[in-house]
Formats: sequence, C-alpha cells, structure tokens
Amino acid sequence: MAAAGAGPLHAEPPRRKRGWNWREIGLAALLLAPNLALLVVFTYRPLVDNIRLSFYNWNISSPRMRFVGLGNYVEWFTSSDSWTIMANTVIFTVAAVAGSMVLGLALALLLDQKLFGRGAVRSLVFAPYVISGAAIGVAFQFVFDPNFGLIQDLLDKVGVTAPNFYQNSGWALFMVTATYIWKNLGYVFVIYLAALQGRRKDLDEASEIDGTSPTRHFFRVVLPQLRPTTFFLSVTVLLSSFQVFDIIQAMTQGGPLGIGTTTIVFQVYQETFVNSRAGYGATVATIMFTIVLVITLIQVRLQDGNDA
Amino acid sequence: MISRRNLLGLAGAGLAATAIAGCTGGSTGGAAASSGGGQKGSGTIQWWSNHPGSSKEVEQKIIDAWNAENPNLPVQLVDGGANYEELGQKFNAALAGGDLPDVIVASDVTWFNFALNEATAPLDDLWKEAGVDASSYVDTLREDYAYDGKHYGVPFARSTTLMYWNQDILAKAGLAADKGPQSWAEFAEWAPKLVEANGGKPALMVPDGSNYLDWYFQGMIWTFGGSYSKEWTPNFTDPKSIEAGTFLAEQFKAGHIGIAKDANNTFGIGGSAGLLQSTGSLGGLTKAAQFPFITTYLPGPKPGACTGGAGLAIPNGISDERKLNATKFIDFVTNTKNTITFTQATGYMPVRKDAVDDPEEKAYLEKTPNAMTAIKQLAENTAPQDYARVFIPGGGARIGGGLDKITIGGQDVEQVFEQLQSETATVYKRDIEPLL
Repeated sequence: MAAAGAGPLHAEPPRRKRGWNWREIGLAALLLAPNLALLVVFTYRPLVDNIRLSFYNWNISSPRMRFVGLGNYVEWFTSSDSWTIMANTVIFTVAAVAGSMVLGLALALLLDQKLFGRGAVRSLVFAPYVISGAAIGVAFQFVFDPNFGLIQDLLDKVGVTAPNFYQNSGWALFMVTATYIWKNLGYVFVIYLAALQGRRKDLDEASEIDGTSPTRHFFRVVLPQLRPTTFFLSVTVLLSSFQVFDIIQAMTQGGPLGIGTTTIVFQVYQETFVNSRAGYGATVATIMFTIVLVITLIQVRLQDGNDA
Repeated sequence: MISRRNLLGLAGAGLAATAIAGCTGGSTGGAAASSGGGQKGSGTIQWWSNHPGSSKEVEQKIIDAWNAENPNLPVQLVDGGANYEELGQKFNAALAGGDLPDVIVASDVTWFNFALNEATAPLDDLWKEAGVDASSYVDTLREDYAYDGKHYGVPFARSTTLMYWNQDILAKAGLAADKGPQSWAEFAEWAPKLVEANGGKPALMVPDGSNYLDWYFQGMIWTFGGSYSKEWTPNFTDPKSIEAGTFLAEQFKAGHIGIAKDANNTFGIGGSAGLLQSTGSLGGLTKAAQFPFITTYLPGPKPGACTGGAGLAIPNGISDERKLNATKFIDFVTNTKNTITFTQATGYMPVRKDAVDDPEEKAYLEKTPNAMTAIKQLAENTAPQDYARVFIPGGGARIGGGLDKITIGGQDVEQVFEQLQSETATVYKRDIEPLL
C-alpha cells in the first residue's frame, strides 16, 4: 500500500496502442460484408453491365449481340427526338420538384398549426404517397377524361371548355406532372412537418418578442432552419421525379404524338421493351445515369458552399 | 475529400441508375436454348395471357375443363400484362434470364420478332408428334404465323377491323340503318349528316396512336392504293399512301373523324355515330351499349380491312417434354368446342374451320349477325398486314405516333410520312436484314 502513496499525483493516462486493431477491423468487415455483397451484386454489377451493354446492338429477344462501339451514343445525340425527350424530362422534373416542395411546405406549415382535425387531414395528405403510381394513373384518367372527367365537368359548370389533355402534348405533360405532384405531395409534406416540429422554439419566441412580421419570421427564422431538409428533399424528389414511369405508362404511354410525354426513363423502357432495342435502351440509361450523377454532384457542391 | 453527405448523394445517384440498369436486363444467357436441353418445368403448364377481349373468365373456364381431363398436368393462368406489348415485355424479361412459361399469347406484332430471334419454337414437328391436325385451322389465320417454311404460332384470339354504327343516329341522319359506307369517299359524304344528327359529334371514332390507330388505318391506306410497305420496302412516300394520310388528316380536321384514347367508351356513350374497332370489342360493346348498333365491313375497294389479334406460341428455351405438353394444351384451347366458347364470349373469329359449321355456332351466328360480319369479311375483304407494321421492331408504335402527328398534331403529312419511310428503312437494315 505504501507504494501506492508514493506514486505521482498526476499520472498520465495510459497511451492507446498505435497500429491496426485487427479484431475491430474483422468485426467491421463481418458486419459490412453482407450489405457490401448485396450492393456489389444488385447495384454496381448491373450498373457496369448496363454500361457494357450500351456499346452493343442487342435485340432483347435474341441470344446474339453485335458490338457497335459508340454508335448508340452517336444515334442518341443526333436524334431530334432525344432533345424533345430531354425537354420533357427537364420540364417534368423542374415542375415536379418545385411544385411538390412548395405545396408540401405550405401544407406542412398549415398543418403544423393547432387546427381541429389536423391528424385526419395529415393522414389524408399522406395517403396518396403509399398508393401505387399505376393505380393513381388509372384513377386520374377519370379526372382528366375529355368526355366524362371531373375537370371537364367542373369547367363545363363555369362555361369553360376543358382542354383535351390526351391530344395536346403540353396539356398531357401538365396532366402527368400534376398527377405526380398529387401523389408525392405527402412525402414532402411529412418530411417538412417533422422538420418544422423539430425546429428551435426559442427562436420563434425571440422573434415574436421582437415583433417580427409573419413573412419575415418565415423567411428569416423558419426557412433557414429547414435548409438541410430542403437539400435532402431536393435530392430525393429530383431523383424520384427523374425516374417516374408508372404514371406515364398508365395515363399516356408516352404519347400523344408518339413522344409527347416521353421522359428519358420512359424512353429506356420504350426502346428496350417496345422496340426490343436493349442495347440502345442501355445507352439511354447510361446517359441518364451521367446526368443524375452530375446534378447530384452540383447539388452537393452547392450545399457544401452554403455550409461553409 | 468525400464527405458523408457527398457519399450519400453519390449513392443516391448510383441507386437511381441501377434502377434503370435493372430495367435493361443484362444477360442473354437464357434466350434460346437448344431444343433438347431447355428449362424443365414444375409439372404445371404456365399460360401467360393478357386476356384479349376481356377473356380471363372464359380462359379459366377452358383451363378448368383441361384440368378436369388432365389432373396430372394442370394448367395455371398467369396475368401477363394489360395488353400484347406488356406481355411481350414480360416474356422478353424472362428470356433474359428468368423462368420461361409454357405457352404465351403472341400478337400480330410480337410473334415475328420472337420467331426471328429463335425465342419461340417452330411448331410443325410438334404438331406431328402430338397428332395435331394443323390443316383444320382456318388457312389464312394459320399462315399468318409462317416464316421460312415453318409455323411459329397457332391462331387464337383472331380479329379483323370492323365498323360499328349506332343505328339510331344512322336513321336520324336519314341514312339506311342496316349498312355502312361502301367506300371512304361515301363516308366523306355521309359524315356531315351524321355529325349534324348527333349534335356536332364526330361521325366516326378511332383509337389514337397509342391504341393501335396504325392497325385501323391500314385498311384505309390500302383502299387508296397505298400501303405501309411492299414486303420489306417501305412505301409511306408513295403518292397514294400520302393521299390516304391526307384524307385521314382532313377528315379529322373537319370533325368527321374523332380520335380518342378510349374510343369504345366514347362510342358507347353516344359520343360518335360510328366506331372503327376490333372484332374483339364486340362482346364488350354488346353488353355495354344502350342503343342498337350494327357491325359492317370496312369501306372498300377490297381489301379494306386487315387481320389482327393474337395467337399462341411456345418458348424455344423449354424442354422438349414441356413443348409437347404445351402443344397438346394449345390444341385443346383451340379445339372446336373451346373455339366456340371463346368466340361467343369475346367476339373474336373462330379459328377452326369446323367451328364455323358446328350447329351450335351456326345457331349463335344466326342469332347474332354482328358476329357474322367479321367471319364473312375475313373471306371477302381482308388481307395480311404490311411488314412495316408487324415485322419491323416497334413498327406499330412508330406508325401510330406518326398518324397522331398528322391528325391531332396537325403536322404535314408528306414530312411525317417521309420520316416514317426513312426510320422504317433504317430499322430494317439494322435489325432485320442481318438476320434474314
């Protein structure tokens, strides 16, 4: 015991051993391996395979493929249809992202208030998100039908002739975009609502004491706190909008006029399965992947810039 | 340096692309196995169908009869999609590495692509082995599935284009209520009267380009002396083809012809005096329409209509045993009794010669003259379809899109048809010529 009393009063803590902790590394590898294996097999191998296929002319029904080098890429970039499809994709995506985020935020702000029956309304707003896009597409055909649709009926009552949503490319694109926004509004709404409920209440109180106007309060106090959520939603909504297929297939099959509502992901389907050109479909998919990758990188950069 | 957020973003992009990559498949391994070593089955015959003419119920009825006779070799009906294209797409996905069915419904547009790429089996030897009398099928319908001296399908839900006329409106317009126009020129004369008699609604409703307008227009283009193609040579730019396209565009512009996504419904609610549709719509319209209607031939001169619909085919990649069983089942589905059951339920044409002469069918046809029109028209007013629509990959959709452009899009007929000419030639050179 005497030895203990003779020791230094402020002994240094024992230093951690330098070098690899093989037990921890082994455990980490063991835990990560199943997910990594799944990612490699089901995510990255198909991706690489898709890029490989994009250099071939392959009829999907055939056991044979023919190497065409960059031929498919040259065809896509020199086809006038490609640019119409790109324009459709950009219009749809921008409108879908902006529309669902603005409306979703507005609904979240409204239903964040203490209102009677808000629980039921929240459920109603979220419900369409869990319904399949194909089912919604079929149901909305009755909303936009030129003969007996809800919109035609409502406009008739106020003496306005309803446009034929199925025969005009612009209106058809509006129709599928509006349907998509309606379906996905619940997702944006619920994420924004969670973010609103988790914001700092002391800032609200301080703002109230300062007598800040509601508009100024929203833009200066609430919105900045929602920035990470807005970034997250802009990425996820953009990615899902880019990939919309079911609603277009159910409502317009990419028409009217052949490609009136064809977006780039719908072109992948159309070329691969309707025209049986799996190689060309893979080319379009690779181009789309590149576009999504670039957009995501830009978003990440912008966000990093804002954080700095 | 990559932050966690960067990584998440990139992973998101990767996943997006993978979803697409998944669509496009990635293997050609399972496409066409040699006849001896194909996929073995589970002892159940799988029949993939899109239930043409809302035939799911009657298909199941036929299957039940088979299952009762063959308890050791049951058949399972599998939903293959909402239409022929979706079924074709599902089959393509199976070819790229999935489990193959035993029997598929192959449409006028999809069967040739499957045959050309050896995805479906030639049936001639299987017919001999199974003791099937192929000569008992209606010759023209059976020969629609012939390629390179072999047959790759059996006629099943076969149709022609037909005209349906609301008799009340015909009478109101002061026209005979028991016949249709004999030529498109006569239709153009009738149309203003029909439009006026029906409160300004189109005289004739036709499905749009996404719903086989290319099929319905084929008869019209023939009557003008044009065609989509002469065998493999595109013929869209022939002055007579352009004349037909111009006629369609002008009739649409004048409000005589209406184009709709769901033309059946429009006609069914009185939205047009006439309808250009398939024989297969007869069953549904008979049940739904609240007014008397007749079916008539498409306007001439002959041939003014084309055959269409679907047959049954057998995947090439399944085992010989499965192919033989599938052949027997197809023979059962299309035997005289089941042909009668099927045609009476749907309105499709009888595909066996003796079905037409069967007393039960004769009695039905006498009682239902609208069903008789298609059978008579088959002999008198039809021709096989143009290669550009049925044999060139994506031909139907391409032509349908072009016809949408000259009608609802108001685009120049010559320009659109020139584009169709050039695209069809390109696809032929790229996808067909090397395989012939």
